[in-house]
Amino acid sequence: MTQVTRSSRWRVWHRWLSLIFGVQMVLWAISGAYMVFFDLDYIHGDHLVQEITQPVAQEVDVRPIDDVLAAYPHTQNITFKTLWYQGQQQAVYKLSGHNGEQLLNASTLMPIALSAEDIEALAIRYYALDDPKVESVVYMTENPPTELNPALLPIWQVNFDDFGSTSLYLSENTGEMLVKRHTFWRGFDIFWMIHIMDYEDRVDIESWWLQAFIIGTFILMITGAVLLVYTISFKRKSSGGAA
Amino acid sequence: MMRFMQWLHRWVSLILIIQVLLWIVSAAAFSLMGHHAMSGHQYMRHVHPEMLSEQAPQWSLDEVRRRFPAADSIVLSNVLGYPQYQVKEGTEWSYVDGHTGAAWQTDAQLAQAVAAASYEGPGVIVDVEAIERSDEVIKWQGPGYRIDFADDLNTRVYVDAASGQVVDHRNTQWVIADWAFKLHFMDYSGERSFNHLLIWSAGLFALWFSLSGLILLVRNVAQGDFNPRRKPTWLEQLQRDEKPIASSCGGGGTCGLCKVTFDNAQQPAPTAAERVMLSEAELASGLRLACQHKVQASDKVELANGDVASHTLNLQRKRDLTPSIAELTFSSSQPLTYRAGQFLQFKIPHENAVLERHYSFATAPTDDGLLTFTVRHMPAPRSGVPAGIGSGFLCRLKAGDQVEAIGPFGDFVLTEAQERQQVFIGGGAGIAPLRALLQAEKQAESPRPCKFFYGARNGSELCYVDEFAADEQVDYVPVLSESVSEDWNGRTGFVHAVAAEWLRSQDLSNLDVYVCGPPAMLKATMDMLAELGVPRNQIKFDDFGI
Repeated sequence: MTQVTRSSRWRVWHRWLSLIFGVQMVLWAISGAYMVFFDLDYIHGDHLVQEITQPVAQEVDVRPIDDVLAAYPHTQNITFKTLWYQGQQQAVYKLSGHNGEQLLNASTLMPIALSAEDIEALAIRYYALDDPKVESVVYMTENPPTELNPALLPIWQVNFDDFGSTSLYLSENTGEMLVKRHTFWRGFDIFWMIHIMDYEDRVDIESWWLQAFIIGTFILMITGAVLLVYTISFKRKSSGGAA
Repeated sequence: MMRFMQWLHRWVSLILIIQVLLWIVSAAAFSLMGHHAMSGHQYMRHVHPEMLSEQAPQWSLDEVRRRFPAADSIVLSNVLGYPQYQVKEGTEWSYVDGHTGAAWQTDAQLAQAVAAASYEGPGVIVDVEAIERSDEVIKWQGPGYRIDFADDLNTRVYVDAASGQVVDHRNTQWVIADWAFKLHFMDYSGERSFNHLLIWSAGLFALWFSLSGLILLVRNVAQGDFNPRRKPTWLEQLQRDEKPIASSCGGGGTCGLCKVTFDNAQQPAPTAAERVMLSEAELASGLRLACQHKVQASDKVELANGDVASHTLNLQRKRDLTPSIAELTFSSSQPLTYRAGQFLQFKIPHENAVLERHYSFATAPTDDGLLTFTVRHMPAPRSGVPAGIGSGFLCRLKAGDQVEAIGPFGDFVLTEAQERQQVFIGGGAGIAPLRALLQAEKQAESPRPCKFFYGARNGSELCYVDEFAADEQVDYVPVLSESVSEDWNGRTGFVHAVAAEWLRSQDLSNLDVYVCGPPAMLKATMDMLAELGVPRNQIKFDDFGI
């Protein structure tokens, strides 16, 4: 009778599979733990920013919407609000249509072009932490960092000198803050990349190697489960008396 | 350190294994479906709103401003071309009819039209239902409409009544993905949160689990376990040579059964596993675990017990001792020499595999060569869970049936040549080796005085009670722990407590103690003996295989 017991064979399989798939399991556990332990709102940077809209004062006279539509007939959506630019809070129309977005001064219907100073002032108003220290204001037209969706170009990047190296990205046309990034978001993004094993664009969850590792890890788990049965339950001597 | 890692890896995996399998299965679901299929948006059309100039609002912006003086922003939009004001005050949104200034109304007909405009699949609308809210769109407060489309995905579109806007599309694949999220995030509320206590704990366990595995893996690499040309361990060599050597764990150094004696001039240094499994005296005498050492040309290795061999046992008779314990008597194909207190490793065939179970001899060696064992039926803990595999197999054997076994093994044997009081403490099916030891002691030339404490739950569970009660050479103290009937006039309580009471009046330096029983009883007894101060080298115990 052969005495190479089954547990030895399972153990050999478990070791070889762990050599290939176990290392990825460690990476999954570490990256998963990071994503689980940091609160998602914190990762998103919700603590870094605040609402900056303010009600439009009743006494401010603005041009009627009919005038706007007459001047800009290809408009699908109009937002009436206030915006801080040129050093004061002013009533504006934000238009959206097939040609993108545009700001108008609500009283004169003159188009508004935001300067670097306007963008910096807006970023500081968005910034919710104490003592905002702007490190740099960058107008980006190409080669965006990995943390920014290239479709959002061109865009203003405002970098703060703070604990999380915060970067706020503001729209060139509307001055709206579209994207916020800080160190822990960047860490999350790297761990997300490790978790889904897409090392280029960090979005593809359907790659064949990810699926191969899922299947391999499944087999690794099965061999481990068998060994568990051998080593935890079967090693007990079930007579002599174990009840 | 490595033993701790093994322990950690094994027990954490026991806790975690179900969740790890759920993580793998849900990850496979994500990967096979992809972002698009999971979104529920397969048949969603990107709606381009009509130009506002086509139908300008008759209610003016100034009137909206007067109605909502605290508005942060006012959006003029349209629903299928009909103008609508959306007013934001703080976090509250209000929707206003662009022509009349009245609160926006969405009837079933409009909801149906809005849903149809957002849909580009092959289906047609089969149902429109007014709803208060939906578990499928957990962040939406409602009320609104659910519009069902007859298509291959069972698409349904939710429309918000207050705004007349499409809230979201849902379909069968979305439901599958939603379950995958529930499993992956361990959040069964539907909110897909992965920041909560349950998954923090699981994450922590998973870290311990995988890191301990990594450390063990590094050790294996360092040991050369992955080198295909490495030398086999002595356990592998002996198994290959079909020598009768026992192993339950398959070379992990955790069962302590594969004992061999090294007769080299220079014995190999004991490993951490051996320091735990073997005593100082055993190590000094050259005893080692075969799985811990690779074969070297200079090694001189002998099986620790030369009597160990394979045997084919033939069941002669079977009888029930108690409702839960049966006595099986076998004959052996070839003579089997053993010492009272030892055990055999039975080969239990089970679903194409062979499992190993250990049973102690229940008698001292007999002249007729018959081998007796006691087997406790392991009943199913609850319906749907199988009963004990080993005990089930043995209890189903009929007279004449055969079973394979290796042995004998074990060093739970009588002490030698010391005129000491012999104390036996046992419980349940642990009676087998103790009964063998007591018989062996009585057969000695000058038997030492024997005291036997035996615990059972109730009177019907007392094995061999008549035999011991009639035995004048053994001072027998049966102890019942529960359901004492009125005609019981013996001791009650836990057997270790009754034994402790008696031991307190004894000269502890002048007795040998043998202990065997279920794990809880064994631990309680060992703790009690340690507390009383019985010297450790005067205690022998059988813990059912390390």
